[in-house]
Parts: sequence; structure tokens; C-alpha cells
Amino acid sequence: MNNSYYINSTQLSIFLGRLSSNYKVFVPVAKEVAAKGEKKVDYSYRLLSGEQPLIYNSYRTTEPLKSFFTPPYEKLTDYFTAEQHVTAQIDKVIIFGVKNCDIVGHRVQDFVFCEGVETDPLYKLRRENTIFISSDCTDFKEVCHCLSWDILPYPTEGFDLNLTSLSEGYLLEVGSTKGEELIQQYKEYFIPAKETQVSARKAKRENLIERLKKHLLPQNLVSKDTVQGLVRQGYSLDTWQEFMLTCVECGGCNLICDTCHCFLLADAKERIQNEKVRVWDSCLYANYARVAGGANPLKLRKQRLRNRFMKKFDFFVDNLGMPACCGCGRCIEVCPGKIDIREVLKDLAKKLQKL
Amino acid sequence: MKNIYRPIEATVEDIIEESPTIKTFVLRPKEHFEFKAGQFIELTLPGIGEAPFTPSSDSNVKDRIDVTVMNVGRITSLLHAAAKNISVGIRGPYGKGYPLEKFFGKDVLIVGGGVGLAPLRSLLFSLFAEIDKYNKVILRYGARTPSDIIYKEAIPVWAKKKKVDLVTTVDVGNPTCDVGDPAWKGNVGLVTTILKDLPVDLNNTISIVCGPPIMMKFVTLKLLDSGFKPKDIYLSMEKNMSCGLGKCGHCRIGKYYACKDGPVFTYEELKEILDIWD
Repeated sequence: MNNSYYINSTQLSIFLGRLSSNYKVFVPVAKEVAAKGEKKVDYSYRLLSGEQPLIYNSYRTTEPLKSFFTPPYEKLTDYFTAEQHVTAQIDKVIIFGVKNCDIVGHRVQDFVFCEGVETDPLYKLRRENTIFISSDCTDFKEVCHCLSWDILPYPTEGFDLNLTSLSEGYLLEVGSTKGEELIQQYKEYFIPAKETQVSARKAKRENLIERLKKHLLPQNLVSKDTVQGLVRQGYSLDTWQEFMLTCVECGGCNLICDTCHCFLLADAKERIQNEKVRVWDSCLYANYARVAGGANPLKLRKQRLRNRFMKKFDFFVDNLGMPACCGCGRCIEVCPGKIDIREVLKDLAKKLQKL
Repeated sequence: MKNIYRPIEATVEDIIEESPTIKTFVLRPKEHFEFKAGQFIELTLPGIGEAPFTPSSDSNVKDRIDVTVMNVGRITSLLHAAAKNISVGIRGPYGKGYPLEKFFGKDVLIVGGGVGLAPLRSLLFSLFAEIDKYNKVILRYGARTPSDIIYKEAIPVWAKKKKVDLVTTVDVGNPTCDVGDPAWKGNVGLVTTILKDLPVDLNNTISIVCGPPIMMKFVTLKLLDSGFKPKDIYLSMEKNMSCGLGKCGHCRIGKYYACKDGPVFTYEELKEILDIWD
């Protein structure tokens, strides 16, 4: 059982102010969104500049966590003058309000950039210098379906500290040595949590899970035990063609997904200096798989949609033991063609049952 | 931490015309660089872009890397237009290369198509360096026309080596013959047509295939038909690549990446993959 501490709201604001002089602190900000019959608030991250009350985000932010570690466009190295080793100045960062869906989904980024035959130095350095102060979800969006992938709306691992909001303050659960060290560094703001507060947290969590289950049950969503079989057996179904009819190849689904990681390693020139740059790419773009001579194994949009699902639900199940989807629903919200990942999978399941 | 995206500088020392569309670029790296036959490099045209190539030179020669390049796209056309002594960048070596120890004591059948002979030449250098470790080397090579054959001077030299059995073919005989000697007197037909009655012991052979995807598909089918087992057929798979080191996602084949898990795979590893030949 991890240590938990209590801090009241006023103290938390002061604590945030203190942190912002030693770290780059990112906190959620709320934005009213006009939408029919949908939650009226969306959240983003913004750099904190001093003492401020914390805005507690009820659910995940719009932008994915990966932007902190692999920005959409960045210079990786000069050549040919660059050293064999990276000596970049890395900011110390704290991110408040990370949700469990992002923590789980982000395992894919860690796997891609840190494991394998090489470790991406900038990603690794940033990861080591970032503290996650996650928080429980207190509500969910229509598109949220973390539970269908057996992902809880609060983290049990992968965080440094986790916030739960109580009536006049917050509980902070320690999830790592880094988290405990941070508490100790600022221990004047915290007192050990009381049993009643820990029970209150448990009750809040169970309450949200009940609500989320009620929301998800009628949707009859595909589970992580069957999804790999579905995409493999559904390879030749017309599902892919049907759902691709409204795709405009904007790449939104890939760009906003926290498990998507494809990039182009490209060359650029800054005046006379040559550079390697990394740019986010999308497997829905027409030339994603095109080779030099013009051949393109993913020429058709239906092939690209299928390829994306094979990557998320076949490749990563084989290579990482989990589907590359955390049920955050960002791809559903962003798609101008209203292509819904839940519906694609259900269509496969429906058609395969009939066969 | 290691700067994994950093290219080393190399000079283009020489450019050899192999065919109307294919040139070999002889590169001298300015830092130490080693590779094993079958591994590939990412070649950078400074400030412009990169493309993956498998060196065709002898991996035992440490200060020289040859890449044999067909003029097909943006980078390769700029490379073909380049002059000697330009600077290029090299990243790598990437991929796994040919597992030579698995070929010891066996009949080694090598089937090449067109510019696919390039990585196979590097393999041949490795085999010739320790020819006593292998039972024999059977090379079957096909190109579109006689002028499209690469390493034209080397091929007759290889044919005369001990333990080597070499046959070439062209898809289309060229009666107007344009390179060197008189009208082509050799075989005419796709490379699959010279895979009949191979002088190999099927219980002790491995085959290595490299060429255009359609050629590799039909050669694989022919070999399977002739009794080769999937685990004994080695294929060089091609995919659009960017990083070359298993992170950018582009070259996925089934559960593998053609870069870090390949580019050489056995057919056994690939045979369940639904879109393998696309």
C-alpha cells in the first residue's frame, strides 16, 4: 500500500507556485466547448507561471502526452559536426492532471523510443526529467471507453504522485521514489492521509466506475482478449472499405493518438547547416508506404485503415502484450469523417459472428 | 547518451556504371564503419534526404563501402546526377545481415534478380573468403536484358571459382545488343526457368533470394514446389523506410520491422503474414 498525503487547496496553490520556480510545471486549463448534448468543457495543458489555484481536470486533456517527449517537429542533430553523444539541456518538467488512459497508452511510446536496438536520447532524457502528477478521473466523455480495455479511470502504477480531490483538499498518493522525494522536499505542505480520507477516495473511485460501466455496457464493446483475433480474421471483410468512405486523410487520428508514434526522419538545412529533423507522420497519408519506384502497398484508403488497426491490435499485442489503444476516444472526437474506432471493431465482430 | 541519428561523413571516391539505370558508388567513410553482408545503411544526401541501401562490397574490407543503386526516385536520381568527391552521410549498419553460420557445410543456392544482385555480391565476398566452410555455391541470376546485367566483368570470374556453379538468364534477349560482345548467347527466360534440376541436396541446402518483390514471390513458390522448406529460404524484404532502426513505424511487416528484424527473413517467419508480397 503506497503512502498517501493530504494537502488543502490553499496550500496546493502555494506548493504549485514554489514548484514553478524550480520546474517547468504544466497544469490543466479548461475551455468551454460548444457541442450539442456533449460535455461542455475540454482541457489543455499550459505552462504555469507562479502561484495559482489548480484547475482539476475531470477527464483527459485534448492533446496527447507524447507532445512533451517527441514534439511534432524537432531538430535531432546537426551533421557532420555533431558529437557522438547528445549533450542537450533538458528542462525539469512536472505535468499535472495526467490520466490513467494516457499513462497506460504512453507505455507504447516508452517501448518504441527506449527499447529495441537503440534508445532515442532526447526521449529518454526528457522522460527521466519529467514527473507525472496524475489524477483520478471524476467524470468521463461520451467517447471514453478505457474500462472496455480493462484500464481503470485512476492509475495504480506508472505515476510519481496521484491526486484525488476531496471536499477541501487533495490526497496525493506516492507512486515512485521520485514522487516520495518530491513530497519530502516540500514536506511542510503535507500531512499523512487519514484512514477516512483513504476510504473516501476508494468510494469516489468505485462510484465513478459504476457510472462508467453503466455508460459502456449497452455499447457492447470489443475486449482486449478478442481484438487481435478479430482484426486478423477480419482481414478480407468489407468493413475497411465501408468505414473508409468518409476518410479525408487528414491524419488526425494518428496525430492525436497517444499510442501512435510514426515519424519521418527528414533532412533540412538551416542556412548552411545540415540537420536531421523528426516530423510526426500518419499512416493514413497516401504516400506513407510508397517506395521510390512508385509502388505503394497501401495505395487504397481501406488498406491504410486496415493497416492502422493491424498495427494497434495485432503488432502491439504480439510485441508488447497489450493493444495500442487506451480508450481515450481522442481519435473519435477529431475525425472529420466520423470514423469511430469502437464501431469499426464492433462491425468486425458482428460480421465474423455471422460467418 | 548516444546520438543515434547522427550520420558519419563519407566521400564518393568513384562511380561505376553497371547498366543504363544502375551505378555503383564507392564510398570512403571518414570514421570507422563496419557492416556484415546483408545489413544496410541509410545514405544521406546532405540537406536533401536519405535512402536505405545494402552495401554490395566486401564486408572484410574495412575502409570502403560500395552501394549499387538503381535510378528510380528522388534521392537516387540526385545521386545518379552527382559528381565524384561529393560528401554523403552514412548511418548504420542496420538490420541483421545473413546468418552465415547457418549456411556452413551446406549447398548454398543464391537467386538474384536485377539490382538484387547487389546485396548478394556482398554475401558472395563473405562466402568466397571462407569457401571451405560451404559445400558449394550455386548462383542463378536474371536481369531484364543483357545490358541490365550488373557486375558484368565479375560474373565470368565468379563462374570460374572452385565450388561455384553459375547460370545467368535474361527475360528478353536483346538482338540489337549494345554492351560489349555480340548478341546474347545465354539463356532467355525469367529466372524461375533456370531453377529446374538444381544440383543441390534438398536435405542440406539453403536458398537466398533477392530481387524485385514479384520475382521473389515467384521464385519462392518455385522453390517450395521443388521441395525447399520455408525455414531454408532467406528473403530480403523491402519496405518504405525512414529511421532504419525500428522506431518510425514505416517498414512494418506483420509483427516485424523490415529494418531491425530483417531485412533478411526466412519464409517460415513470413508465411503467415497476409500482405507479405504487397
